Formats: sequence, structure tokens, C-alpha cells
Amino acid sequence: MDYLYSYLILAEIYVLLGLSTNLLVGVVGIFSVSQAAVFGVGAYIVGDCLLSGTLSFLPALALAAVACVLLNVLISLPSLRVSGDYFVVTSFGIQLLATATFTNWTWGTGGANGMPGVPPPDLFGASIESTRGILALTTMAMTLGCLAFWLILRAPFGRKLRAIREDELAVAAAGKGVLGAKVSAAAMAGAFAGVAGGLYATYLSFIDPSSFDLDASILLLTMVVVGGARTLWGSILGPFLLLALPQALTLLAIPTTYAATSRQLLYGGLLIAFALFRPQGLLGERL
Amino acid sequence: MLALQLLVNGIVTGSALGVVAVSFALIYATTRVFHVAHAGVYTLGGYLAWSLMRHGVPAIAALLVAMAGCVVLGSLIQILLYARLERRGAAQLVVLIASLGALAVIQNLIAAIYSPDILNFSAAWAGQVVALPGGLRLTGAQIATVVLDFAAFGATLVFAHRTLLGKRIRAVASNPFLAEITRLEPRRVHVYVMAIASALVCLPGVLGPLDYGLQPYGGVTPLLTATIAMIAGGIGSLAGAFGLAVAIVVLQNLALLVMPGEWSIGVTFAIFVVFMLFRPRGLFAGK
Repeated sequence: MDYLYSYLILAEIYVLLGLSTNLLVGVVGIFSVSQAAVFGVGAYIVGDCLLSGTLSFLPALALAAVACVLLNVLISLPSLRVSGDYFVVTSFGIQLLATATFTNWTWGTGGANGMPGVPPPDLFGASIESTRGILALTTMAMTLGCLAFWLILRAPFGRKLRAIREDELAVAAAGKGVLGAKVSAAAMAGAFAGVAGGLYATYLSFIDPSSFDLDASILLLTMVVVGGARTLWGSILGPFLLLALPQALTLLAIPTTYAATSRQLLYGGLLIAFALFRPQGLLGERL
Repeated sequence: MLALQLLVNGIVTGSALGVVAVSFALIYATTRVFHVAHAGVYTLGGYLAWSLMRHGVPAIAALLVAMAGCVVLGSLIQILLYARLERRGAAQLVVLIASLGALAVIQNLIAAIYSPDILNFSAAWAGQVVALPGGLRLTGAQIATVVLDFAAFGATLVFAHRTLLGKRIRAVASNPFLAEITRLEPRRVHVYVMAIASALVCLPGVLGPLDYGLQPYGGVTPLLTATIAMIAGGIGSLAGAFGLAVAIVVLQNLALLVMPGEWSIGVTFAIFVVFMLFRPRGLFAGK
């Protein structure tokens, strides 16, 4: 039962990350392999605040969200001005830089040894220690996130984002701001990733750089590609499916030293297969 | 004295990355694919040469066989992946995702076959230290690197400007549509370019690890530096890509005087941001 709960909690956190990546990759249409870095910044900020006791859970989560919004806007702003391929370089660069920072900035992140003992989340003074309580919290966060995503895509603003993907020039010619819309979408993606990071740090109570590296970013991208771009159901299906897959792999009795390798191999294979044969993913629209 | 040694080390490593940048620039200018999986081809070269040399194959023969292996891999990626996606009219984003998938597959297959950990790759001649005037010390591997990489760069320039195939490649790069109707067969040229660039990138892929050891995921950082050099040098300028790669690595090495090596990725990325903000076209861009 505990095992099922832990799967659900992690999957729900990854749904938030899937929404975040989907906003960038599916909606704005930029290739991103740095969402795990933003996720990590959120996790470390909440971890630091709670460990030092300067802020309680909700304000810390808000701080993480704001920081990640700023970070994501800062990352995407210069690249939105130039060719899309340049964003690939930015994205890889940010991810490698973030990993270097998480690993080497021992004072703020605990370095390669990680940050142990992050206290459990608390709401209005009451600490949530039971797995069930945390599951309720992540379910609430996921529902809010999904609702926000659904509303955004339905609103006139969402239609504008779709239109930009279809024909950017036409939108600009119709007098609508293109850059502003893209930056807003990137900002929302940052907020989702920041909140997910905070939930992740408080649930696991231990974080280390390996959860926020390039491989983690590739996993997030795979979730969006497999689930499907630009739809709510795609963003929910992807994380639930891909977090269940490693469990299926354990049935194959692969030695533990090769567990991570075989998982990444599978994700790579999925990326190629979906790009070739089903670019719209299982429940999404065409990328 | 330390500064001089760092400067020389920078030129040595820079010439290796220069060849990576030139090979990437050839592919990008001709096929318009941001070939992220090139990092995997680079890594494969080193591992192939390592296995051969461990079984007593002489270094030159091992290098040539490794090059052949890289040519096969690069051409297969072009034929099985990029050409198919192009025929289906896939969006640039989908091609990038497929390329990232290919990178993940190559890296993790290498990790599964050899080992996910760093492998020591050495040869007697490569470790020999030669003392030069001025207190400079270079290893055999470093001397081979600087000589062979500068030679490879020169040969590529001569090839691109003096040979029929080189001119054909440049014609396809400068105007794919015109190349199509004048029967230059762009699709076939794309395969040739991938083959040539894969052979080229194998050279630093084998020589670099003689200095630093082999790592399945070790191709990403060199490729990132190389792409930054290509963008800073100006898309379409091979000499620009090579020159900027040397300049960036020299700067990285000189930065070691004031800060520890873990942060050198930060230096590279800072250079990229400066170019993004002030001269996104690069220094020596063509039209």
C-alpha cells in the first residue's frame, strides 16, 4: 500500500513537471532539456528555507515558484529573439551549469552528498507527516495545476498560443504580441516546476544533484512526447506511464548497476520511436 | 609560467574541439539538423579505439577502424532517422527530439556494453612527457592532438574549397532548392556530409580520451562548447568555428588561474550569452 502511495505521489509531482515541460515544448514549441534544472532550483530553495527555518512550507513554496518563474523567463527571453536552434544550446548549457552548481556549491546545496533531513511539509502550523496526508497535498497541487493548464489553453490567451504555433507571422501581423505570450507561457512553466520541486524535496526529505541532471530532463521530455503535446490528458498519462515502466524493467532482472542505464536506453528508444511513428504521442496533438 | 602552460594546453584542447566544431558546422550548414547525437558518435570513436588498442592493434590502425565505425553510425543516423523524418515533413522540434533520443540510445548502449564508469585509456607513447623550451611540458597525446587536429582542419578547408564533392556540398548548403533542380542530389550529399563529419569527429574523439579517460556521457560538454563556437564564429564559416573553439578553450584554461575547474562550463556559457545579446549572427557569418 505504501508502495502504491509513493508511486502516486511521485507521479502526481511529475504531472506538474509534465505540464511545465508541455507548456514549453508543446505549446510554445521550444526544445527544452533544462526543465529538471528549474525543478531542482525549486527543490533546493524549499529545502534550504525549511532546513534553516526561515520560512514555513507555503511561503517557501511561493518563493520557489517566483524564483523559478524568473529563472525560466531569463532562460527563454534571449533565445526567443533568435532562431529556435539556439535554444538547444541555451537549454543544454543551463542544464550542465545547473548540475555543476548543484554538485559544487556545497554551502547552498550540500554538493554531491545531497541535502538530507528536509522537514515534511506543513500547512498553517500543522505538519503533514503521514504518506496519506502528503498524497492529499500532492493530489490537491496536481488538480490545481491541471485546472490552471486547462483554463489557460481554453482562454483567449491559450488560443493565441496555439495560433503562434501555427503561424507566428500571421499573429504578429494581426497586431498581437508574440514575444509577450511566449514569455508568459515560459513563466507559467517555471511556476509549475518550482512548486513540483518543493513538493519533491519535502516528500523525499533528501535531495541530491542526480534527481535534477540531464537524464532527468530527458525523462521529462519523454513524458511529454509519449503522453502527447498540448493536451491535459497527455500530460497526465505520460508521467503515470513512464514512472510505471521502470517497475516493469525490474521484472527483467537487470543487475542494479545497469538499472539507470537500461532505463535511459528505454527513454531514448521511446523518443526515437514516437518521433518517427507517432509525433502526436498517445493522447496529444501533432508536435 | 603557469599562464603560458595553460595557454598552450588551451590551444591543444581547443584544436580538438575546433575539429568537433567544424564537423558539426558542416552538418548543420548542409542538412539544417541540429545533430545532438553527434556527441554519441564522438564518444563511440574513443571506445572503439580503446577496445582495439587493448587487443594489441597499433594506434593508427585502431584510429582508422574507429573512424570507419563512426562513418557507419553517422550515415545510419542520417538514412534511418533524419532522411525519413524529412520525407514525412517532420517539424524541426521532432527532428531534435529524435536526435536526442539517438544520443541517449548510443550513450547508454556504450555504458551497458563497457561500463558506466570512467575508463582509463592510455598508451605508452601518449603518456610520455616532452619538455619544451620555456619550461613547457606536453604529453605525447597532446602533441598528437595538436598536430593531427590542425592537419584535419586544414584538410577539411582544402576539401571544401578545392574538390568537386566539397563544392557540391557547399552548393547544397547555400541553396538546397537550386541544388535539387540542378541534379546535385541533396539527399545523397546529406549522407556524404554525415559520413565525412563523423569520420572527422572521431579524431578528437579518440585523442581527447587519451588525456582525460573515457566516459559514456563525456561527449555532451565538448559538443556544447563546439556548438557555441560554431554560433559565435558564424553559421557557415568553418574557419570561424575552428578559431572560436580555440579561443573559447584558451579562455576556459586561463580562467583556471582565477577559479576552480568545475566552473569552466560557466565560462563557456557566459561567452555564449554575450554573443546572444550582442552579436547573435556570430563573428564571421556569411549572408
